[in-house]
Amino acid sequence: MAGLRLRDLRKRYGDLEVIKGVDLTVEHGEFVVFVGPSGCGKSTLLRMIAGLEDITAGELYIGDKLCNTVEPRDRGIAMVFQNYALYPHMTVYDNVGFGLKLARTPKEERDRKIRDAARILQMEHLLDRKPSQLSGGQRQRVAIGRAIVRQPEVFLFDEPLSNLDAALRVDMRMELAKLHHDLGSTMIYVTHDQVEAMTLADKIVVLDGGVVQQVGSPIELYQRPANLFVAGFIGSPKMNFAPVKLDRTSGDAVLVSSSDTGSVEVSAEAPALSPGASLTLGVRPQALHLDPSGPLVGKVVLVERLGSETNVSLRLASGQTWLAVLDGNAAVSSGDMLRLGFAPAQAMLFGPDGGVLPAKIQQQQEIVA
Amino acid sequence: MTFLRQHWLSLVSLLVATLIFLVPFGFIALTAVKDRQQAALLDFSWPTSFQLWENLVEVVTTRNWMVVTAFINSTILTVVSVALLVLLGAMVGFVLQRRKSRWNGFINFLVLTGLMLPPAVVPTIWLLQGMGLFARLHGLILIEVAYHLSFCVLLYRAFIATIPRELDEAAIIDGARSYDVFFRVILPLLWPVTVTVIVVQSVAIFNDFTNPLYYLPGNQNATVQLTLYNFQSQFETAYNLLFTNILLITIPPLIVFLFFNRQIIAGMTAGAVKG
Repeated sequence: MAGLRLRDLRKRYGDLEVIKGVDLTVEHGEFVVFVGPSGCGKSTLLRMIAGLEDITAGELYIGDKLCNTVEPRDRGIAMVFQNYALYPHMTVYDNVGFGLKLARTPKEERDRKIRDAARILQMEHLLDRKPSQLSGGQRQRVAIGRAIVRQPEVFLFDEPLSNLDAALRVDMRMELAKLHHDLGSTMIYVTHDQVEAMTLADKIVVLDGGVVQQVGSPIELYQRPANLFVAGFIGSPKMNFAPVKLDRTSGDAVLVSSSDTGSVEVSAEAPALSPGASLTLGVRPQALHLDPSGPLVGKVVLVERLGSETNVSLRLASGQTWLAVLDGNAAVSSGDMLRLGFAPAQAMLFGPDGGVLPAKIQQQQEIVA
Repeated sequence: MTFLRQHWLSLVSLLVATLIFLVPFGFIALTAVKDRQQAALLDFSWPTSFQLWENLVEVVTTRNWMVVTAFINSTILTVVSVALLVLLGAMVGFVLQRRKSRWNGFINFLVLTGLMLPPAVVPTIWLLQGMGLFARLHGLILIEVAYHLSFCVLLYRAFIATIPRELDEAAIIDGARSYDVFFRVILPLLWPVTVTVIVVQSVAIFNDFTNPLYYLPGNQNATVQLTLYNFQSQFETAYNLLFTNILLITIPPLIVFLFFNRQIIAGMTAGAVKG
């Protein structure tokens, strides 16, 4: 039905290629989030889907229609912008109904659709106001109302919550989730905030430098990142990394060592690598615990007490700093020498190219991009 | 005493401004109501008889109602020129600002040239004659538009730069074509600039003396400024009629100022242009 298909999509500005061959399938009704650091191309990709940017190469299918050269108004999409883009000289009523007026919809039908959208978003009392008389959250709702009233096949959101304060952001996030549940439409959402991505998405697409790093559900991306970039991007606080050398492999475990970690066993497979290969060890801060016989030794440089957990910054032998998140109110203080350990299954190894070494126990089918 | 010491400079400036602006206008009004002999004295004496109505009638009916024709011509000239300036200036400013093409640099150069180059009258007359537009009102309209267009384009382009591009994009996604974006979204937001253009250009074009002098010879085509000029020689001994004519001519720009003054203030306080 109204899904989306991107096939080897590319975008070039002169000699600079910003989108380097994106392949993606979005099912109907999915909430897909494009996430990545600034400049990774997620907004550009969204604008290419919307029709606001030309597609240099590749194919874009919205529904079953090839939409490379189709005008935005005929693509069946609606877009919500980061700074709302409401027409300042029109009332909320006219803002929401602008598209319908352009399409010469009959007055009664137009009025009915506007009021329906206003009711869904609880902004019926705002219809006679101008945008300058609304708060940020209200303006965002009007922008969403303007999109709803078009009854699009795909909703596009370009960092819609970035301009809101933290408390309002949480409220609007829940409203968006509810909206998706009520309308059941396909939604594509762009953000740099991974918390928004994790909480809202059915499927996350992680982008870096115009290339799709990984596509998967939030939990898949958290538990089984495909490479160093995704592992470091998803999850807060960031995953700890340390360069290690491969000692030997035995079955479904790999023995690695470094000055910081000593000799450590990790559940992973390294079929094509020989001893001495340079790998990267990744352990999430939450996976570290106090262990008198643990492999990691370091001096505490910073303790942050959050009540439910304690963030401990540890300076390791090589000078590198690792972060550990310990439960409750840990009995550590700045200057202590600590030993930390982690379960072999909780650690990850990344090869010289940055790709993750698959772990046999948790291995499942590859996510189709 | 401190009030005077704090504000003496403002008071002096106010006095000077009053002298410069109000006194001449007062003199015009005063002389316009006098009869012929008293007006010839050209002083500030109080009129012995109030002949404003008689003066008006004589000025308006002289030479076959030439003044009325002149007013009609001036009004047509001003209204059509300003309308074209607003429309064309806004359109060109919009395209220059929004559409990035290789021609933009060249067009910018042309616009600046239009602003800087002094008009060459004789070649222009020759060109107009060749196109059959010389001594015609629509020829003069085109001249006025051409001379003032650069200024308007620059004004509009600078203002359109402050309108966020997302508004255009939102309109495009809503289904607007180029002219919809321009007329329904952009132009309404340009109201402050449009008011400025209307006020400044209509006064300039209405008061323009030299262009009608060069390009509209012949009494039947006269604008009000030319009429005034002609009156100077015709009414050499009838200053009361001359000043009545001046009074008549001052009224339209005054109305424009008074009317749009309110619009300008209202536009600023409403804070309309804030996405």
